[in-house]
Amino acid sequence: MRASRWALIVIVLLIAAVIGVAYGTLRLTPLEVLQGAFGSGTSTQVAVIRQLRLPRVLLAALVGAGLGASGAALQGATRNGLAEPYLLGVSGGAAVGAVIAVALHAPTAVVPLAGLAGALAAVALSLIVARASGGQGDARVVLMAGVVVGAFANAAIMVALAGVDANAVRGALWWMMGSAADASWAQVRALSVYVAVGVAALLALARSIDLLALGEDAAAGMGINVARVTLAVYVAGALLAAGTVAAAGLVGFVGLLVPHLARMAGARTHRTIIGAAALGGAALVVLADLVARVAHPPAELPLGAVTAILGVPFFLSRLRRLA
Amino acid sequence: MLSATRVHRAFVALSCATLALGGACRTDAPQPSGARDDFGDMISPVATTPQRIVSLNPTTTELLYAIGAGGRLVGRTTWDLYPPEVRNVPDLGPGLRPNVEAVIAARPDLAILYASDDNRDAARRLRAAGIRTVAYRVDRIADFARVTHVLGELTADTSAARFTVDTVQATLARVRAATAPLAHPTAFWILWESPLLAVGGGSFLNELLVAAGARNVYDSLPGPSPAVSFEDLVRRDPDVILASPQSRRHILADPRWRALRAVRTGRVLVFDTTIVNGPSARVGASAVSLARLLHPGAI
Repeated sequence: MRASRWALIVIVLLIAAVIGVAYGTLRLTPLEVLQGAFGSGTSTQVAVIRQLRLPRVLLAALVGAGLGASGAALQGATRNGLAEPYLLGVSGGAAVGAVIAVALHAPTAVVPLAGLAGALAAVALSLIVARASGGQGDARVVLMAGVVVGAFANAAIMVALAGVDANAVRGALWWMMGSAADASWAQVRALSVYVAVGVAALLALARSIDLLALGEDAAAGMGINVARVTLAVYVAGALLAAGTVAAAGLVGFVGLLVPHLARMAGARTHRTIIGAAALGGAALVVLADLVARVAHPPAELPLGAVTAILGVPFFLSRLRRLA
Repeated sequence: MLSATRVHRAFVALSCATLALGGACRTDAPQPSGARDDFGDMISPVATTPQRIVSLNPTTTELLYAIGAGGRLVGRTTWDLYPPEVRNVPDLGPGLRPNVEAVIAARPDLAILYASDDNRDAARRLRAAGIRTVAYRVDRIADFARVTHVLGELTADTSAARFTVDTVQATLARVRAATAPLAHPTAFWILWESPLLAVGGGSFLNELLVAAGARNVYDSLPGPSPAVSFEDLVRRDPDVILASPQSRRHILADPRWRALRAVRTGRVLVFDTTIVNGPSARVGASAVSLARLLHPGAI
């Protein structure tokens, strides 16, 4: 991919981040934004910029980077342009964990952790199911196992929500639609570790994913342990997706959409596709979160609904080519 | 032309007027004042006073206890928690889209539903099973008075209903009079943290806030519990925040909330969490407790 394309993605990300910090329901002048950022404004300005908008923009960027990189690697490893982290059952598993926590009246802070546990359990279950059927090296079998685990998760959610009060159901649904509204510096720190480790692992696997993309037999012929590389990509991709789910709930279609945009921008090897998808995903989710924040005041839109509105037309327009 | 029902009602009114000094006014053949419930369905007249009542709305359940008909309950929802003796009444499940078979199995001679569209089908099925069924919305303070009178007529104890309504309205009037001359602080009443849910203009809690001498920063939003964004709340910057004990702890521990003046000035107040279900007979006492919270010493 040409340097000018990289520069373009970085510039879009930076512009999105600046708009995200400067613009919101509370109208602030550029000077007030700067005063808030440097701590010299009123206590409200400082709190809005430092405690609300900055962590929110950073969290959205990390969510987008994690989902973009995860989707790029999974599409490469499965040789399927429709693959994305959620097809592994990650979304369903995370939702089950969160909804059970809500139904048990767990403190709000525990809900994302329960989501993370559910996401990791779902991935483990998908891989165990695939292994039990003897198909752990076969991307299609693992994807099918993920779909089945996701369907089971949906049933479990319905059971868990049968006896909870209306506000708790609303809370659970809100979380399942994704939102960066509760972003905090603690979440930014936690997710930055997930994203750094996950993206580094996927970049290290990028060369093997390039070979896998040629086909399993060809890859095996070039000395790649197909089953082991596939498993490593799944675990790293699921870890990234689960971390984003714990931070911001379920934000769909980013992992599907962004890798294709990266390839359209000229990325060919998985090292560049994963890197460009991470940066592009960050820009996309920061912009989507801005829309979620300001489109429908005084309420917010769910972030996952905004990314779905962007992602579904793209998905449909490319379905024939991707499948 | 006077119908038999209206003749009967006139007779009941005359009897009540005669018996007013004696205090009690019971009728053997109860007839509701409105011929239709809040679904617009006809209320079938009966010759006997209901003895087995299923109430699938915590607020109507409370009202039945308040007018002395609680002992006739044979079914309630999972969410009925007040008064404490209601726990001895069989739990028939949810109040929205109720378990119709469970209601029929309780063999009620009167079923009272919440008049939400979700319950239209249940009302139809219960009537088809021969159970006298009525549905009422009890969302606002005006609904409290209206439905309490209807329940009094349905259970044949109109004087108890009137006494309940009069007592509550007298208390509300006392609270309004006490808070009217005071400065009304702006208030945000948090119902849920994620998503952030506020008490909106469509809730009886908004009416309680007004009676207790405050102005809800979200009174222009029509719903009872609208979702709002945190930054919009910062923009409205209320004088006071009303929160549950748990929410108050979270608010004080989360640095984001320092953006609000009410948090920085220590004006995050804990409300009585038992009052939020609906405008029951405790609505007067709720207004008193809220007024004392907002204006200590005023009442």
